[in-house]
Amino acid sequence: MVSTQTRSVSTRKAQVCRGPGCELGKSAYIMEALKHEVERLGIKDMVVDYVGCHGFCQQGPIIDISPEGIFYTHVTVDDVAEIASSHLKDNKPVERLFYRDPATGKAIPYYKDIPFYSRQKRIVLRNCGHINPERIEDYLAVGGYQALKKALTSMSPDEVIAEIKKSGLRGRGGAGFPTGLKWELCRKSPGNEKCMICNADEGDPGAFMDRSILEGDPHAVLEGIVIAGYAIGAHEGYIYVRAEYPLAVKRFKLAMEAALAKGYLGKNIFGTDFSFTMDLREGAGAFVCGEETALMASIEGKRGVSRAKPPFPAQSGLWGKPTTINNVKTCAFVPPIIANGADWFSEIGVEKSKGTAIFALTGKVANCGLVEVPMGTPLSEIIFEIGGGVPGGKKLKAVQTGGPSGGCIPVNHLETPVDYESLTALGSIMGSGGMVVMDEDDCMVDVARYFLSFTQDESCGKCVMCRLGTLQLYVMLQDITSGRASMDDLELISDLAGAVKAGSLCGLGQTAPNPVLTTLKYFRNEYEAHIKRHRCFAAVCKGLVIAPCRHTCPAGIDVPKYVRFIESGKFGEAAATIREKIPFPFVCGLVCVHPCESKCRRGQLDEPIAIRALKRIAAEKDDGLWKENNKIMPSTGKKAAVIGSGPAGLTVGYYLAKKGHSVTIFEALPEPGGMMRYGIPEYRLPRKVLSREIQEIANAGVEIKTETKVESLDMLQKEGYEAIFIAAGSHKGAKLGIPGEEDSKVLEGVDFLRDLNLGKAIDIGEKVGIIGGGNVAIDAARAALRLGAKNVSIIYRRSRSEMPASSEEIEEAESEGVQFLFLTAPSVITKVNGKVNLEFLRMALGKRDASGRPRPEPVKGSEYSVELDTVIAAIGQTSDIPPGFDLKLNRNGTIEVDPDTLETSRKGAFAGGDVVSGPASVIEAIATGRLAASSIDRYLGGTGDMEEILAPPETELKPREVEEGDKGRPHMGLKTVKERIGSFVQVEEGYTPEQAVEEAGRCLRCDLED
Amino acid sequence: METLNLSIDGKEVKAKQGSTVLAAALDNEIYIPSLCFHPHLSATGGCRLCVVEIEGYKDYVPSCTISATDSMVVRTSTPQLLQLRREALNPILSQHPCACLMCWRQKKCGPDDICLRNVAVTDRCVTCPRNYNCELQQVVCHVNKNDVKIEYSYRNLPIDDSNPFFARDLNRCILCGRCSRVCNEIRGIGAVNVYNWGGDSLNGPFGSKPIFDTNCISCGACVSSCPVGALYFKDSPKAETETKTTCTYCGVGCGLVLGTRENKVINVYPDKESEVNKGYLCVKGHFAIKEMVHHPDRLTVPLINCGGQFSPVNLDEALNIVASRLRNYRSDEVAVISSSKCTNEDNYVAQKFARVVLGTNNVDNCARL
Repeated sequence: MVSTQTRSVSTRKAQVCRGPGCELGKSAYIMEALKHEVERLGIKDMVVDYVGCHGFCQQGPIIDISPEGIFYTHVTVDDVAEIASSHLKDNKPVERLFYRDPATGKAIPYYKDIPFYSRQKRIVLRNCGHINPERIEDYLAVGGYQALKKALTSMSPDEVIAEIKKSGLRGRGGAGFPTGLKWELCRKSPGNEKCMICNADEGDPGAFMDRSILEGDPHAVLEGIVIAGYAIGAHEGYIYVRAEYPLAVKRFKLAMEAALAKGYLGKNIFGTDFSFTMDLREGAGAFVCGEETALMASIEGKRGVSRAKPPFPAQSGLWGKPTTINNVKTCAFVPPIIANGADWFSEIGVEKSKGTAIFALTGKVANCGLVEVPMGTPLSEIIFEIGGGVPGGKKLKAVQTGGPSGGCIPVNHLETPVDYESLTALGSIMGSGGMVVMDEDDCMVDVARYFLSFTQDESCGKCVMCRLGTLQLYVMLQDITSGRASMDDLELISDLAGAVKAGSLCGLGQTAPNPVLTTLKYFRNEYEAHIKRHRCFAAVCKGLVIAPCRHTCPAGIDVPKYVRFIESGKFGEAAATIREKIPFPFVCGLVCVHPCESKCRRGQLDEPIAIRALKRIAAEKDDGLWKENNKIMPSTGKKAAVIGSGPAGLTVGYYLAKKGHSVTIFEALPEPGGMMRYGIPEYRLPRKVLSREIQEIANAGVEIKTETKVESLDMLQKEGYEAIFIAAGSHKGAKLGIPGEEDSKVLEGVDFLRDLNLGKAIDIGEKVGIIGGGNVAIDAARAALRLGAKNVSIIYRRSRSEMPASSEEIEEAESEGVQFLFLTAPSVITKVNGKVNLEFLRMALGKRDASGRPRPEPVKGSEYSVELDTVIAAIGQTSDIPPGFDLKLNRNGTIEVDPDTLETSRKGAFAGGDVVSGPASVIEAIATGRLAASSIDRYLGGTGDMEEILAPPETELKPREVEEGDKGRPHMGLKTVKERIGSFVQVEEGYTPEQAVEEAGRCLRCDLED
Repeated sequence: METLNLSIDGKEVKAKQGSTVLAAALDNEIYIPSLCFHPHLSATGGCRLCVVEIEGYKDYVPSCTISATDSMVVRTSTPQLLQLRREALNPILSQHPCACLMCWRQKKCGPDDICLRNVAVTDRCVTCPRNYNCELQQVVCHVNKNDVKIEYSYRNLPIDDSNPFFARDLNRCILCGRCSRVCNEIRGIGAVNVYNWGGDSLNGPFGSKPIFDTNCISCGACVSSCPVGALYFKDSPKAETETKTTCTYCGVGCGLVLGTRENKVINVYPDKESEVNKGYLCVKGHFAIKEMVHHPDRLTVPLINCGGQFSPVNLDEALNIVASRLRNYRSDEVAVISSSKCTNEDNYVAQKFARVVLGTNNVDNCARL
């Protein structure tokens, strides 16, 4: 090794991270290999050394080359030779090892440019990753022990306390008690002998701040402890480290030895009469020992259980002596505060919370690692700017702060500044600094259950509330996640959780119910869905979910079963399986939004199964096998009317007819199908497919009266219809609300698509602008291209990642030549020379709104205008319910229904589909249709049982051995852009039978696992 | 000693310096329910039933651990506290048999009655040895808990009956920790401790060994301290009359309560009011007296050995025989053995008699406890 004496300023350094994460990536071998290479190539003035954790463990192993500041990530032993020869020798940095921005994919060579670091303010972590933690000289070179010298030689203990009080430092262990006040209480407490303890029993799952500091900069912690000891008048100090942190134990022991040898510990430090001894105690792995009274009991050699306070440790602590206990981070803050002054520190942060906060950012976030930011930084900045957002295009659901006893903060509170008071107000805590980001694939009930399983396991068992209260909460949550609970249990859970919080002896029990209480407060709908409908939105609760695809499908189609039929080439059986739940297999095979695919287990390996495409081929190759078992019950003589022949209305009609009721569907437009016919363009859904499936419904005995608009429900009831189902959809476009939109060249998206599908001639000209970012906007844009428009742009006020349209559609529109204008909102429409002049405002993304998406805010003075032939506004739809229906409506104009029965405010009238939910998807409409049919059948005196068996039973039922493959989907044929433009020919060609069998073979059959 | 003046539930009370809030309340006849508190033992604040509101404290505090201070204002039964106590009983009753507690027939049924609600035998109060003498019953009655919100489930822990005098059924244990504290703090034995962690915590010998295989001295103090029926004496039938007396096993003079039926001692309890033993006994006093008293081999009259045959005589006769024979021996040919069952005073007189009257130093006593 190159000794420290030979270092000069011009020396270049290659610093290999040897934090625990990088160490697991064999960084010790990497360092040895690099040293060997440097020696072999004879590179002069090059020091290869190791440093503590950089806090960016996800990118490890990390090598940092200074003075250039090049930052290499994911280095392996095999990369070492290239780094040495190319970069160190020839000064050509190795680009493939640079950090890549998760959003843009751009390579960022320099440490200082990486947003993960550039947006942080590192005080405690300032040395982590920059000095060799096992060499005291490195710490001295960055000003180490100067604060101790200053405190001992030029300040009295009271002055030190005054300085800390003035700085506003609060305990970083979680409770946030003012550190200066804590020291003062201990100093003033009667007694000659006092103790200083540093709490390094960091037990929160996923949190590793204390560990990284102890491993990366142990001397700073030690210096802080000695200063604290001096301030409170203690001569003995302890640090209580978990035994699970062997590297931290080793490095802190080395630090103690080195400090003792240099005279920063022991007798007469810096020649003063202050003496201080230090001892390290290893914990035995009990989480509760992080609680101060339990920690002291453990140091004393007793069972680590907490005791009631008062007496507080400052009055009677370790061995009965007045004691101060500070967290590792608190101790590490002390030297910089003493060195730079209280004012420097109190300028950082917000009014009541000063300085920086350190978080271990983990979970569903692109950049995991240690983050140090000024107090008061909004959560959104930590997650999106530093953390890089949620990977895989998934939606953020909640952020959990404060470890297992913290709470879950939902997306509508993302602008909350992180400080003690704000987090407490939301029901969470700052805690020690864990921050777990959760996305749509996390079930909040399951999260609460997991944290409770941890806390009930780690309860010391002394007090009833914590020992049995958390156990009972856990048992009840387990009941919910396995579908055994009732709605009364929710009441019981919140009562018991409140009692555990109020009645527990120590901080563990007092905070343990936080995950339950916050999820119950912010995600009550998930609890209710689990209990009432046995639905887990994230499809993770094992007791409820057989296969995530089947569970996520709104209609509950047995996906794994029909995929297996396809795998063995039995397409008819597959189609029959689909038909057991929906009457539109082919339509769904073409246009379903396939929520099932987003939850497919195979997607975690490589790519989800192409479930929609498999459904399509099953429907294509359907040989009518399902008809063998299809039963239509004898007539009941009851009459039911359905208003609207969209997917919801047709589904209700079909299932009611099968139950023997006489059903009439009233449709205002010339042909049945609703949005399937008048919304979805033909290039996605050929009309003959639709007509064929509607014919099957008519064959079941449903009468469809087209061009009949119903204006009053009383009329229908007078005509003898005992039950009425309203599925009128949402066919009215929402207004832009800007001047000039009444112009004839300003169309509404749904109107445009309807007229197009009615066969009306529409002159849209050459330049078309579409306003909106949903699927209707995309459909309108692609249809406009096919009508001959040369220049089609979609104008959306947010950015691409916030677009509600499905990404496949966006990509296809893009490939067809649709242009996108993001962050642009229309302000005025005027008519100039027969053309539409659309004036825009540029937008900038600001703070996040209740949906968790950044709110677009107009940029002043950014107006510009474009001349267009036609403007199509597709910013949403509402329903148009005739006043004659006399129904109770929601505020947004949808019909108010009982969510369990779909019954409206009027007896005998039911409603479903878009008219209730607002614009949604075909599959959701079909699912509510089935629910409504069941409910109406019960109303008409039937059983309401819609279950039927159309497919034969399966023969082979073995789970598949998971192969470590990255075999994606087969490539599906698409019509070329040239073929598409100018005609409404179907774009997707579908799989060939061979491809389908191959694709079905990728299914992991997770439904068959135990 | 300085007295403290404090207000409890609006009542001005006096308390001794250094006493806890709970002690101050109990001394002034204000009942605060508790299960883990025992006046002889250190307070833990574990059962969460004695929580009170004290002005100036933001959280509820257990009254057993907090020292009373002058002009303290305490409230023991606000609606919130009553609710909290009822909630605290929920989890306790989820692990302690409670079917009889909430039943309207609880005062009518006996252990042998057929339960109309078909409750398992292990879930009943009436089959518990501590029925009507159970502190949990008192507490449930006091806080007016009349519903079971969380279903009780039998834990199915094995019953340890290795000790000949008492058994341990941890299915009834509420983990108040009194047994382990009495064993450690009063007895200094430490045969019983809390082991395991969290919801699995149990009171008992380390590693759940049978109690008889530990250093347990079978004093029964743990059984006496148990608030519920988790620890119980194996053979303790119901007595007709109870008589306070003093233990004759040794010279300490522990107070006893002898329970008798048909003029026979059928069980023995320590006298809690005795200043000598304050409610504790050793294994002999606790468990051997009833056997000793009615043992057929017990000497109740003096016996004279005449030609290899023992024949009963009255005490005067026996004394005369001994006195007449003693004259035939030199003083160092005589030895005196006295009994540890005699009082210290008797033993003193005996040795005085030996040394002064008989002139022998051959004195001994059977005390080998």
